[in-house]
Amino acid sequence: MGRKAGNTMKILVIEDDVVISELICMNLEAAGYEPLPAFDGISAQQGIQNGTFGDVALALVDVMLPGKDGFALMEDLQAAKIPVIYLTAKDDVLSKVHGLKSGAEDYIVKPFEILELLVRMEKVLKRTGRGREKIRVRDVVIDLKEHSVTKAGEQVNLKPMEYGLLVTLAEAKNVAFSREELLNRLWGTDYVGETRTVDVHIGQLRKKLDFHDVIRTVSKTGYRLEDQD
Amino acid sequence: MKLRMKVSLITAVTLLVGSLVSGTAVIYRSAAYSREKTMESGRQQTEAAAYAVGKELEYEMMEHFTDTTLASYYDYVLQKYGASRYILVEGGEVVCNRTAYEVKDPADVRWAQRSVIQKSKDRYLLLVGRRVPASGSREYKLISIQDITTLYEDVYRQSLLCFGICGSVAFVAALLVFMAVGHILSPLRELQQAARDISGGSLERRAGVRSRDEIGMLARSFNEMAEQIERQVAALSEESERRRQMLGSLTHELKTPMTSIMGYADSLLHVKLREEQKERALSHIYEECGRLGRLSSKLMYLLGMYDNDSIRLEEVVVQELFDHVARAEEMHLQEKGMTLRCTCEMGIRRMDRDLFGSLLRNLIDNGIKASREGDTIVMTASGDQITVQDQGCGIPEQEISKVTEAFYMVDKARSRREGGSGLGLALCERIARLHGAELKIESVVGEGTTVRIVFYKTFTNC
Repeated sequence: MGRKAGNTMKILVIEDDVVISELICMNLEAAGYEPLPAFDGISAQQGIQNGTFGDVALALVDVMLPGKDGFALMEDLQAAKIPVIYLTAKDDVLSKVHGLKSGAEDYIVKPFEILELLVRMEKVLKRTGRGREKIRVRDVVIDLKEHSVTKAGEQVNLKPMEYGLLVTLAEAKNVAFSREELLNRLWGTDYVGETRTVDVHIGQLRKKLDFHDVIRTVSKTGYRLEDQD
Repeated sequence: MKLRMKVSLITAVTLLVGSLVSGTAVIYRSAAYSREKTMESGRQQTEAAAYAVGKELEYEMMEHFTDTTLASYYDYVLQKYGASRYILVEGGEVVCNRTAYEVKDPADVRWAQRSVIQKSKDRYLLLVGRRVPASGSREYKLISIQDITTLYEDVYRQSLLCFGICGSVAFVAALLVFMAVGHILSPLRELQQAARDISGGSLERRAGVRSRDEIGMLARSFNEMAEQIERQVAALSEESERRRQMLGSLTHELKTPMTSIMGYADSLLHVKLREEQKERALSHIYEECGRLGRLSSKLMYLLGMYDNDSIRLEEVVVQELFDHVARAEEMHLQEKGMTLRCTCEMGIRRMDRDLFGSLLRNLIDNGIKASREGDTIVMTASGDQITVQDQGCGIPEQEISKVTEAFYMVDKARSRREGGSGLGLALCERIARLHGAELKIESVVGEGTTVRIVFYKTFTNC
């Protein structure tokens, strides 16, 4: 599970719509996960039971699936100790309650934002003890357990806010955050600071880690930590 | 005022007035008759008495009587003939009066031939005057006085009795009518209660009235109305439920392309993607927009066809329609390496050329989607049905009843790849119904599907 410092955590994507499946996989890949798509309930169930998917950290499951619906897959997923996030167009309260009561970790209604999906996945992974221990971005290694950052093996001193900012960006690699989102996430919603605060901290991070071409400014949006294999 | 009260009152008043009028008339007539009788007999008696008295007064010795003797003689004669009811008048003066009354105007010449009823104090008196037919120098008149008060008292008593009888008859009649009307109208109360219950929402309520009169007829009509209302409400709520479900599935169906479009746009905006990923994202957005467009136009079609006006029925040569459809599908079939075999034994039928053509094309497309390369699709028209048959993958038995529901797809992933929206068969069924036909789907998994368009006989000639 968390043994690897690399970014190849396996995520099972059970979604019958090929286009949406590709969308999710594309983004998971960009964020540093290894997506495993399954297109119907029966093949997903067989894969889980036979262990063909290998060491799966999390499953994103559509509810309405041909063959066997998402709720029916819960038993097998729980037996394989795979945490589940339902990802579905069914947004009635009853389905949500049913989904969460049956043991799902979270319930995301389509259409969803990529960032929201990634953040919720990260939360679930941490809650279930599958959170990444280390994140590697080029020669920088973030040790989430030790709360330390090394660049080329050497310790880099970061202030708490700078560290938080780096972790937030690195946990959803290649995905852009707006300044407001970063402000809300790190300083809290009741912080009445200016978005300039974010710019200052980003500047510090870029300087300390030599991340000028890694933490990119995305026009009209905000910042994105870019890292491609 | 309640109806039974009104009816009872009207009955009582009518009865009372009617019987009073007739009773009064009868009493009046009989009173007049008995008075006439009394007067007649009074006249006859007086006449006889006057005659007899006249005989007595012809006595020649009278000329020589002194006044006293004469008075005694008059007395004697009157007593002899008429007890105490006669007064004898001679030349304008009372010469003998044995009665308890006095005559005011004995000189009145009318007493020679007169009968009159006079009221004195509270007594009614019959006075009859007659000339006494006697020869001699003296002129006599005899006046009889008879108390006929009992006659009037009888009339009074009869009137009272009549009033009493009329009143009680009217009262009893009113009571009977009140009860009878209450009994007759009791089904109305049941009817009213039923109407109240129905308007209160219990549409299954019926009026339990069995009588065969107008109220019974009203109750039957009422029950028919209630039944009709119940049927229509049921149909309406079924229809609205169907539409609700369709809208539900529509919003769900919109969500899938929306999720893709939003997600890919979101990714393009915020996520660092590789070049080829960007291209795929863009093409997905383009395709999904196309899917949305197709969905909306089909939906417009489906919704538009809820109004039957939009259908244009005309005489169509079925063979021509088949040729037209076959030409339109030719390319599609060639692409997939399949063949279409048409057999038409149907002549002319009234249909909407475009709509029915698109129905057939839809069925053929479905066949193509289900079939493999080299398969043949057979379209046959004979008797009152048109069938489209394929040798494709078939539909699982439990799914057959659902395939004509809007947005239903047996194999979602596969259907999507073929550009399906799950509306095809819903549309087909709709079109068939507009032509007075029914879709019948028979299918065996692995052996193929047969869709029959069966026309109802009744619709053929219209």
